[in-house]
Parts: sequence; structure tokens; C-alpha cells
Amino acid sequence: MHANPPTSGNRLRRLLIGAALFGAAHGPAWGYTATLSPVAPLTVYLQVGVGSFTGDYIDGGQPQNNTTINIVSATIAAAVVGNGTAQAMTTNSTATQSYWDGYTYCSVPGQVYIGGFYRTTGATTSAATVTATVPAALTNSTGSTIPFSKIAWTSSGNGDTGGEPFPAGTFVNGAVQNVGSMSSNTWNESCLTFSYSNNTVPAAGTFTGVVRYTLSAP
Amino acid sequence: MIAACRAKSLSAFFLTCALSIIWPAAAQAKTTTIDDSGTQALEPSVSMRWKTPTPSRSGGGNLMVGTTTLRVRLNVTPWLRRSGRIYLDLPAQQPGPISTSWITQGRFMPGQVHSGNRVLIYAGPISTPFLEDVMKFQFNVDGSLLPRPTPVTFHFEMDED
Repeated sequence: MHANPPTSGNRLRRLLIGAALFGAAHGPAWGYTATLSPVAPLTVYLQVGVGSFTGDYIDGGQPQNNTTINIVSATIAAAVVGNGTAQAMTTNSTATQSYWDGYTYCSVPGQVYIGGFYRTTGATTSAATVTATVPAALTNSTGSTIPFSKIAWTSSGNGDTGGEPFPAGTFVNGAVQNVGSMSSNTWNESCLTFSYSNNTVPAAGTFTGVVRYTLSAP
Repeated sequence: MIAACRAKSLSAFFLTCALSIIWPAAAQAKTTTIDDSGTQALEPSVSMRWKTPTPSRSGGGNLMVGTTTLRVRLNVTPWLRRSGRIYLDLPAQQPGPISTSWITQGRFMPGQVHSGNRVLIYAGPISTPFLEDVMKFQFNVDGSLLPRPTPVTFHFEMDED
């Protein structure tokens, strides 16, 4: 026996199979790939009191550094020292407008503006936190002290509704305490109104202390 | 006789099927990806920056933009002395919705496209083996989709007339 030579039908079938295989084969993968690389994707900005922007955000303004340390103070008349009536504190901060849109958000001298943002790429992350590093006490020139816990604040903002990103609170002596948080990629701001509890009689004098606010991003 | 009729019907059936397959194929232009291997980037990667440096109160305003310039060189030798339409195709891909716009030096048309679509950049006769132009692209993507450097691919397609 010998094998039959391929018929014309067989040859056609082979050609068709060959063509099908050729058609299924992949050609060169033409195309251009551009790599999109986020540059300086993490940005944080915190303003307590006065701050600096090149202009309002909605006009393309960009945040700047401002090293000013604002003062919040109260002068207590001798007649009312320690009478238990909280005394309003005022500030030398002149920051009233939000750098987001120029809206007059806070009122001075009664309120201290606090605001900022935490910019990052990728999906929403856990919130950035703002802490206050608080000394144990305010001191005067003779070493007498007033606990920082005698100072509290309320939080609001002109035209605001709902909760504040920097809610009301009271300083904790010698602590690093959380005073607010910022969700990623949102602008957050509040106006803080400070008061002195005035429920003790300290030594006479000028008492000072510095609280440092810090924004920590995850 | 019945068998003959059946055979005739079967032939007609296959003929109908054949026509129904061939007809639409004849109506559509053939689309072929163009050899763009001669294309060169003038920058190694696309630096994406926030379009606005600060976010909005509502959490919007997260668009990132970046530009890159390509010296595009398309090998159109297979279509020489014919006419065709060339499209820029930006397939749907990771990291998600992307758009790009571009300007040219005149050989190709300027335009913009969103991922998952293609846009005509040239229509007319193919009279040279290569079509070249310098295209400046601006990519736009939501920053929430871009936690790290991310490759984005597009290609050029020829529709033969």
C-alpha cells in the first residue's frame, strides 16, 4: 500500500488552514506608551492666624510660607480676677478672609483663622491630623504659672453650617493634643474664639506661653 | 425529486448565509494599526501636576495635567498611492478615564479624545512612505487615579477608503 497523493481538495483545505493560522497570528504591537508621573503629589498647608497665598485659590493662588506667630490675649481687670466669669480673648491676627475664595470667614479681633489642606494623589486616604503642642502652663516673669487648661475655644465660621473641621476644645496641660483633621484633597477651615476661664486668682503679672500647631499627613 | 429539492434549498441557504456574512464586511473600511515605531518622545515621561494647587471645599478640583511632545513618524508605506483616514485611538485602560488633547504643526489635525474613543487626525491621499508631525499632547486625569507613575498607551489606525 502507499499513501495517496493529496487531492486538490486536501491541498485547498491545507491552504485554508494555513490562511486561518496566518490571520490569527499577531503582528507587531504598534502603539505609543506615555508614562504619566505625578510630580510633587503630596502637598500640605496649614494656616493658624495670618498666612500667605499668592492669591485666592479660585484665581489660581498658591500657598506661601508665613512665619508670623500671632498672639491671643486677655487683660483681666483687678475687680473681676477669679470671679469665674470667662473672659473673652482677642488676637492680633488680621486674617479674616479665606484664601479659598476671599470670603470673609472670620471676625477679628475675636477669632483666629485656622485652615489648610492635605493634597495627595491616589484614592482617598486616612485624614491628616492637626495637633497642638501645649506647654504645661503660662508663666510670668517671677515664675508664677497659670495652667493652659484655663484656656478654651469655640469654633465657627461666618455662614457655616454643620460640624467644624477644628471643633471646640480646651487646652490640655503639657500635651500634644488633636485639635482637628483634614480629609485628603479638601479645603478645611474654622474660626476659633478663645476664652480664659478666670476661675482662680493667680499672681499678678503678664503670663505667656506658646502653643505650636502641627499638620501631620499620613 | 424531493431529495433534489432539499439539496437545492440547502444550497440557497448557504448562499444566503454567505451573502449575509460578506455584505457587511464589504461595507466597512478596513482598519489597520499603523507602524509608529519611528515615533520619538522629546521628554522621557509626562510630569503630571495638579491643575489647581489647592483642593476645593467640596473635595473636587483634583485634575492633574501634564504635557509631552512627540515627533510622530507613521509608516504608511502599505497604503502608498491610496487614500485613507488616520485616527488616534486612546483605548479604555487603567488607571481609568483619561483624556488628551494635542496640537500639531499642520500635517495632522489637532484634537482631543477621551479614553475608549478615537479621533480623526488625517484624511486624504497617501503620497509618501512616512507621515510625520510634531504633536504636543496634554494629558488630563483625576489625581485620585494616579498614585504612582502609570503607563498610558495609544496608537494610530488607518481606515482605508
